[in-house]
This record gives sequence, C-alpha cells and structure tokens, in this order.
Amino acid sequence: MMILEIKNVVAGYLPDVNVLQGINIHVSQGELVCMIGPNGAGKSTVLRAISGILKPSQGEILFGGKSIGGLRPDLVLRQGIAHVPQGHSSFPEMTVKENMLMGAYVLNNRAERERRMDKVYEMFPFLKERKNEKAGNFSGGQQKILEVGRALMLEPKMILLDEPSLGLAPITAKQVFETIKSLKNEMGMTVLMVEQNAKSGLAIADRAYVLELGVERLEGPAQTLLSDPRVAELYLGGTLKS
Amino acid sequence: MEFLRRWWKLIALLILLAFPWVYREPYYHSLGFFVLLYAMMATSWNIMGGYTGYKSLGHSAFYGLGAYLVAIAANKLGWNPLISAPFLAIIVALVAVLLGWIMLRTSGSAFVIATIAMLLIFRITALNLREITKGAPGLSQPLPPWSPEFSRMPFYYYILFWLIVALFVSWYIRRSRFGLGLVAMRDDEGKAEMVGVNTTLYKILAFGVSAYFVALGGGVWSYFTSHISPIYAFDILVGVDMILMTMLGGLGTLWGPVLGAFILVPARDLILFKFGSTSIYLAITGGLMMLVIIFMPKGFLTTITDWVENRHAPRAAHQGARSMADIYDSSSEKKQGEDESSHE
Repeated sequence: MMILEIKNVVAGYLPDVNVLQGINIHVSQGELVCMIGPNGAGKSTVLRAISGILKPSQGEILFGGKSIGGLRPDLVLRQGIAHVPQGHSSFPEMTVKENMLMGAYVLNNRAERERRMDKVYEMFPFLKERKNEKAGNFSGGQQKILEVGRALMLEPKMILLDEPSLGLAPITAKQVFETIKSLKNEMGMTVLMVEQNAKSGLAIADRAYVLELGVERLEGPAQTLLSDPRVAELYLGGTLKS
Repeated sequence: MEFLRRWWKLIALLILLAFPWVYREPYYHSLGFFVLLYAMMATSWNIMGGYTGYKSLGHSAFYGLGAYLVAIAANKLGWNPLISAPFLAIIVALVAVLLGWIMLRTSGSAFVIATIAMLLIFRITALNLREITKGAPGLSQPLPPWSPEFSRMPFYYYILFWLIVALFVSWYIRRSRFGLGLVAMRDDEGKAEMVGVNTTLYKILAFGVSAYFVALGGGVWSYFTSHISPIYAFDILVGVDMILMTMLGGLGTLWGPVLGAFILVPARDLILFKFGSTSIYLAITGGLMMLVIIFMPKGFLTTITDWVENRHAPRAAHQGARSMADIYDSSSEKKQGEDESSHE
C-alpha cells in the first residue's frame, strides 16, 4: 500500500530558482526507502517539501491519499510525519527526559506523553538510564538516537531522516543504521531517509532512489543499485543524463 | 543527612517564622523584610531571565509602577496597600504583557537595551507627571495603623507569604508544559518553534508573570517606606540586584534566586553600614557582579550540583555505554573510552 506519493513536485528556496524539477517519489507502508545522490541533488529539499518547511510551487504530495503539499509544518506533524533534520536537533542544555517530552510537545495530555515516553525507553533503555543527564553530554551517535526516540514520541506513521550518519564516527554510524533498521523491522515503521554515505544507506534500505539535479534518475531495489556501475560512476563525478 | 534532605524546606520555614521573635530589634525585622522581598522579586525575575533566557535590566519599571499605583490608590481611594497590592500588580502585569509584545520582537542585547529604555521612559514620566506623582519630591502615604514598635513584623510575614506563593508559581511553571517550552526557547528558539512551541505567546506571558511579583514587591515596599520618589522607585539598581542575586544563586534554578537574596541583601547592608551610602557601594556591587560572571557564571547552586554530578558522571557514562552494547553487538568498548575522556 502506497503511503507517500510525490508527483511532479517543483520547489526551491528562491523564486524562479528551483531545486526540485518535477520529482516523483513514492514510499509504501512499512518500507525503508533511501535517497542518495551527489551534493545539490535536492535530497534534503525533498524532505523539507514533505514536512512543510518548504512550499512546493507545482506538483502534488499525497500522504495516505490526502494532499499535504504546502501544509504548515505543525499540521504535517499532526498528520503523522516526523522529520529528524540534519545535524543536532536536540536541546543540548535540557535533560534527555525533557528532550523526549519536547518531541510530543503538541500533545496536551500529560499521562499520554508519559506513556509514550515509557514505550520509547523500552526500545532504547540507555535513554532511560541517562534520562536526567543533559543531552549535550551525549556523543554524536547517542544524540542521533535520542533524536530518533524524540521523533517516535508522536507515534508517527512515517519518519523522515536527513543524513543520520552525518559527522559520526564509523562505529557510531553503524549503530545508528542498526537503530534505523530496527525501526522498520521491529516497529514496522515507514522510513524515508537521505544518506550521503550511499553504501551504508543502500545496505539497510529496501528500495532506493538516485537523485541528480532535482529529479530522480534511477529507482530500484537497494541491493540492485548497490551493484549498479552507474551509481558508482555518478559518485566519481560522472553524470546520468545520457 | 537524609532527614535534612527531606525536611529542609519545613525547617527553613520554621526558622523564618521564628526569626522576628528571636531577633526583636526593628532593624532585624526590616533586614528580614528586604531579604524576603528581594528573594521574591528575584524568583519572579528568574522566570523570564532564568527559564526563558531573556534578561531584562528594566524590571525596576514594574517595581516603580507597582509602588506608585499602590500609593496613589491609598491616597486617592483610601485602599489598604496590603490588600490592594496583589490586585494592582495584575494591572502592572498586563502593562508588562503589552510592553513585552513590543519589546520581545528583539532578543539578546537588543532586548536588554530595550528594557533599560523602558525603565528610563517610566522614570522620566514619573518625574514629570506632577499632577499624579508629585514629581521629584515624591509621594507620601498614610502610615500603617499598627503600633510603630511592631510596624515591621506584619510586613515581614506578609512578604514571607508572597515569597512562598512566588516559589510555588516558579516551581509549577518549571514543571509544566509551559515551562518546558520556556526552557526549550532558552536553549534554541528556532528548534523550540519547530517542535510546536508558540514562542511569541510564551515569551510575552512569561514576561507578564515575571513582572507580577516585582510589581507586588514594589507596592508593599511603598507602604513599608511610606514615602516614594521616582529616583528610588524607578532605580535601575533594584533590577540589577534581582539579576545579581539570581546569577549568584543559580540562574534558572528554583532556589538560586532565594539563596542569592539571602547572601546579598545582608552583605549589602553590611557594606552600607561599614562604608555609608557612597559610591563604594556601587563599585562593590559592580565588582561582585564581575566576579560572579567570571568565576561562577552558573551560580552557586548550579556549580555545586554540576560538581556533585561530575563526580558520578564517569560511572554513568560507563553504564550508558554498556547498555548501548546490550542493544548492538558492535564493539562499544572503544566508545566507552571516548565517553569517559570527554567527561574529563
């Protein structure tokens, strides 16, 4: 079942300068989809257009059959799409517990927030053990997992991950990828992920898109793309335009 | 130790209740009054300056406004200041909301400057609005009806009650969803907005609440001194004292502002007693502020709790790393080393 559908979306940060040039992407329920591509291909822009930070000028974004293109970020969040942005998005001076509560801030019910927090703690016990520590004391990988845990506080139907391995040591990055995989395998979560580290991203994904200059150039099962010579060529400075 | 940890609040309250009966000289009653008054006002300032991170240098404006409203109501309408002050302070809080709505478009140092400008506007207005404020000579109001011998004791208990209310409000806000939003804003306003905090509304509300108890304090003070003038009512030092106490005790903590007031008000009295009301007092206040900022930027309470936490931190980090290893099979032994060294 298709949960997210992006049809011919055109969007950009400045008028008349479009980053996305009529892109088409779809994600099915319970699928882990990875977008790869060189710098400036528009990978993060796709996520921003979905979560409402950026308004598409053309095209359609459907979530569960409903159009969400151009909706305010908080309303997209309420639809059940959680966005974990690039870099550190936790509050470094707040405790782990407070960070988790911030994840469900739009939720007005205290008991419900506590219940969801317990559920996330069950998944990541180290967050519970260190709940009174400042998030800023965490290592990069631990912060990333905290951010994923925070995103789960809204019990989203789908999670958008923007370069989860950015700036992490290889070992930590591996742990973060394991976490993402377990989101899908254990929770049945639908994930759309952007990854600069193509090899690791493709290794855990079901399906993948290769983006270049604001459109999708290749699409297919992640394992197939992993061994596609054209993907390697793209990363070595080639182009797929031909 | 365990006994103290559980009951220290009650013990402190009993000591404060007994204090005026143990130290019977009016001087001690007056000193106690000012300690509690500033503890209450610093607690109030801390809601904006500490939790939200918007440091206002102009809170004296609300102090003065509260003082004048109470004095004018007492003179013109015959309202008892101790009854009218909590109500008139609501008006001041609403004024603060209105002004906050304008000033909180700025942030950082621009906000600090805006609050100083606000204070100066109030002061100049009070000096020149002679029909209402009587200008520079100031305004007198009726003396309390009770005997001069005990005149300070009712003030002491009255402000003790309001200090407890202010602490309760501060505690309640800090643990509420509203307070969580405020603290998130202090950390990163952009991120707070992203996760759904109505930053504009919350900032303005926090500003109003933090003005309330300062205005109430000003109102009670005007009755206590029975004569107020713009120079003292709209004195920037009143606001500076609140900040200094909060920062000395622990910015953004519940008890920090109280601790700061309990240290600084008696210290200030001592300085005044030793050196007289000269500019030496100002120099010492400024110097102390510099020392606090340089050596203890987080204040007593935070420095102490950080110190206690850091003694346990390597162990906690160790446990965290081990439970990461429970989830993942990967070699987190190296990770653990990193964690520990990062805590040095």
